[in-house]
Amino acid sequence: MYDYVIIGAGVIGSAVARELSKYQVKVLCIEKENDVANVQSLANSAIIHAGHNPIPGSLKALLSVKGNHMYHQWESDLDIPLLNLGAYVVAHNKEEEKRLESYVENCRKNGVPEYMLLSGDEAREEEPHLAKSISKVLFLPTTKVTYPWEVAFACMENAIENGVEWMKNHEVVAIQPKENHFAITLKCQEVIETKHVINAAGVNADDIGAMIETPPFKVRGRKGEYFVLDKRVKGFMNKVIYPLPSDKGKGVLMTPQYHGEILLGPSSEFVTDKHRANTTITGLEYVKKNASLLADDIPFDDIIRSFAGIRSTSDYHDFYIKESTNHHGFYYLGGIESPGLTAAPAIASYLVEEVMRVNKQFSPNPNFQPKRRKQKAFTHLPMNIKKKLIKKDKRYGHIVCKCEGVTEKEIIDAIHGPLGSSTIKGIKKRVRAGAGRCQGGYCEDKIVKIIARECGVSPLNVGYDREDSPLFFNETKVKK
Amino acid sequence: MREVLVVGGGAAGLAAAIACHSYGRDVLLVEREHQLGGILNQCIHNGFGLDVFHEEYTGPEYAYRFIEKAKACHLDIVCDTTVIDINKYEDGFVVRMSSEKTGIQDVYTKTCLLTTGSYERSRGHISIPGDRPYGVLTAGQAQRYLNQDGYMVGKRVFILGSGDIGLIMARRMRLEGAEVLGVAERLPFSNGLTRNIVQCLNDFDIPLYLSHTVTSIQSDEHQRLKSIELSTLDSHFQPIIGSERLIEVDTLLLSVGLIPDVSLITSLGVEMDQRSKSVVVDQTYQTTVDGLFVSGNALHIHDLVDHVTLESERVAKHIDDYLTHGRCDQSWIQVIPGKNVGAITPQRIQVSGDKEEVIFSFRATKKIKKASVVLLQNKKVIFEKKRQLIVPAEMETIEISLDSLSSNHALVVNLEVER
Repeated sequence: MYDYVIIGAGVIGSAVARELSKYQVKVLCIEKENDVANVQSLANSAIIHAGHNPIPGSLKALLSVKGNHMYHQWESDLDIPLLNLGAYVVAHNKEEEKRLESYVENCRKNGVPEYMLLSGDEAREEEPHLAKSISKVLFLPTTKVTYPWEVAFACMENAIENGVEWMKNHEVVAIQPKENHFAITLKCQEVIETKHVINAAGVNADDIGAMIETPPFKVRGRKGEYFVLDKRVKGFMNKVIYPLPSDKGKGVLMTPQYHGEILLGPSSEFVTDKHRANTTITGLEYVKKNASLLADDIPFDDIIRSFAGIRSTSDYHDFYIKESTNHHGFYYLGGIESPGLTAAPAIASYLVEEVMRVNKQFSPNPNFQPKRRKQKAFTHLPMNIKKKLIKKDKRYGHIVCKCEGVTEKEIIDAIHGPLGSSTIKGIKKRVRAGAGRCQGGYCEDKIVKIIARECGVSPLNVGYDREDSPLFFNETKVKK
Repeated sequence: MREVLVVGGGAAGLAAAIACHSYGRDVLLVEREHQLGGILNQCIHNGFGLDVFHEEYTGPEYAYRFIEKAKACHLDIVCDTTVIDINKYEDGFVVRMSSEKTGIQDVYTKTCLLTTGSYERSRGHISIPGDRPYGVLTAGQAQRYLNQDGYMVGKRVFILGSGDIGLIMARRMRLEGAEVLGVAERLPFSNGLTRNIVQCLNDFDIPLYLSHTVTSIQSDEHQRLKSIELSTLDSHFQPIIGSERLIEVDTLLLSVGLIPDVSLITSLGVEMDQRSKSVVVDQTYQTTVDGLFVSGNALHIHDLVDHVTLESERVAKHIDDYLTHGRCDQSWIQVIPGKNVGAITPQRIQVSGDKEEVIFSFRATKKIKKASVVLLQNKKVIFEKKRQLIVPAEMETIEISLDSLSSNHALVVNLEVER
């Protein structure tokens, strides 16, 4: 019998897992995908927002401003990548300047630190590519950028080290409330018993809730499409650029990424199929058109990828972080869309301490190890450290992905690490092999061979996203 | 300190390194793969070598001729070694390289030749909308899997882009037993060599859909490609509503263009050419940084490997001259691609009174029947040559003598349509 079962291993489920591991409790995290951070956490803007947008007094406002601050602790505890970029919210004319004022007011009410208004020219002095039509700017110095996959990896790895169990490729198909516990049935028919259930299922949070009751909210998929500009454009923009928010959300942004690329997007469109994150001609055109309002001469020629993500927008219009009113011990983390990544550390502690009051019922885990160490990408290390590492393991000398400078040793570590992966996508998420300008065209074959060798399987058994969905159909040359 | 360091041991690097060595220069050739020859190794079809050897070779055979030559002359070569950084150092460069065998090493050299080839545009570069399943690969990647590694990437295949690699792979997949449902090209004409259209598509009854593109991609529940949506394009390259048809395939190969890979030297402050996506060079293939040369597909995309070889042998001569005489300090004139002309190299030249020939290479932006290549300086025609047919798929070259040019005016290259 588990004390807590978390359903969903996105950024939120992983953060909650780590938060619970601070106590003497038996915790299991169940994920239906083949990896952590594979749905909503897979495709987003990677921004740690300052908190200008949420309605004052909302849980979104409270937890995002708090979460933003908590990322510094995560950075030092968990080696989570963090870039303190700052952001501009831009206005183009008198009407927009007036609306910008209301976000100044939001900042004040939400407790956003250090915000200030700048003229268009002052802002352009800092960011020369900012569109000339921009007349006024709200500067938010505390806006940051992280690497969302690494946030989930870090939290889950640390949670595992502190005793949390996790299983991937297991879908929850039924939940039965019993006398003093819940029985969770998996697709493989295995039944898991737990005293508490934490529903962190993202876009599926309402469906999971519907397994025991009429869920208190309905999730609607809101799709966002993006472009990625190659890291060769690094420096084109050094801050996160927001348009004025609208009823469609924060709008199309320009976001420099941790590894040097620039993200354009997202669009925002409610979709009928919340499980389908496809890009469309109209969506991508919308992103281009709206991004062009933020900066002049955007190097669209340097686009190397487009993708889409689904936000789990709920009809509750705020984060729904509450216990079920009918079933004691069943907790919802619903409608965790933007600023969910920002709020993640605060959501986890809010749920654990204030909603579930775990700290009042269980003693602290005496063996809790808050630190999770992760070596920076080899390519970003100083030369003396690189040389030292190569001396220790010469496979650091073999560069496999030349666009991103990923070494063979890093790929091997990603395969065998605490949250190891043996898929092409899993390796890409962990070490960025194949994420650069050639999009794996020149290194995927090498990665396939390394995975096959390290896992002792044939390359015919190596898959892109899942091991049971291989890349190749058959061998053409039979080697004797 | 070396005299010449060549980065990349494909067709361009091999030819240039061997030629530099034959001029008595101290050369080091660095190759990141285990094997020399670059992309030639995966091109097991024939058709290589007609210009250089007057014989038809397969890619590996063509490479082998140069590898044997390199061995015979005891050229210094390191394989399994990736160049990670090139920086200016005194009058030359310090080239940082990494390998499993020797770790990270710095090599000093007076000149550096970049022959790093090109990379293929992928789905992301052309933003094909839809789901993101596996089974959408570049044609070159599929070629490597099939020809070098021995793995079949698909059974029902469609190909987007009628570039030569796409055409070659259409035939290759068919020969290996796959069903090839067609090749789509967004332009109203093919981008591949005529002989490839005939030998790879027509001979195998593979349909070519001109003015068509893939407008959507669908995934199955295992994240494998399930189908593509093919649409007809109007004259503005916009999909015609209602023309969509769904084609069930498990694999989509992309042959949608190559981009020169000069990422190693962009940080040196070399001037770039937005049209070629590579660097600006003069008639000696020297970049705007003294002693730094580029040739092969890293400079501009060639039609035939033979042309890469010949160009790289020419660059070797220029490197030899540079090492003897340094860079001459005459002023530059710009070469401007004019009417109907896309990228052109060299982008700038130094005019001397010499009878030395300059070779200009360029592509037309459209198909022109009865064209004339016209070179102008100060609005005066200084050279004119007629061509029966000019197509973007085939690189045009013209040779003119330096002493016919004035050193005061930019040179404009136009492609006129004869009336």
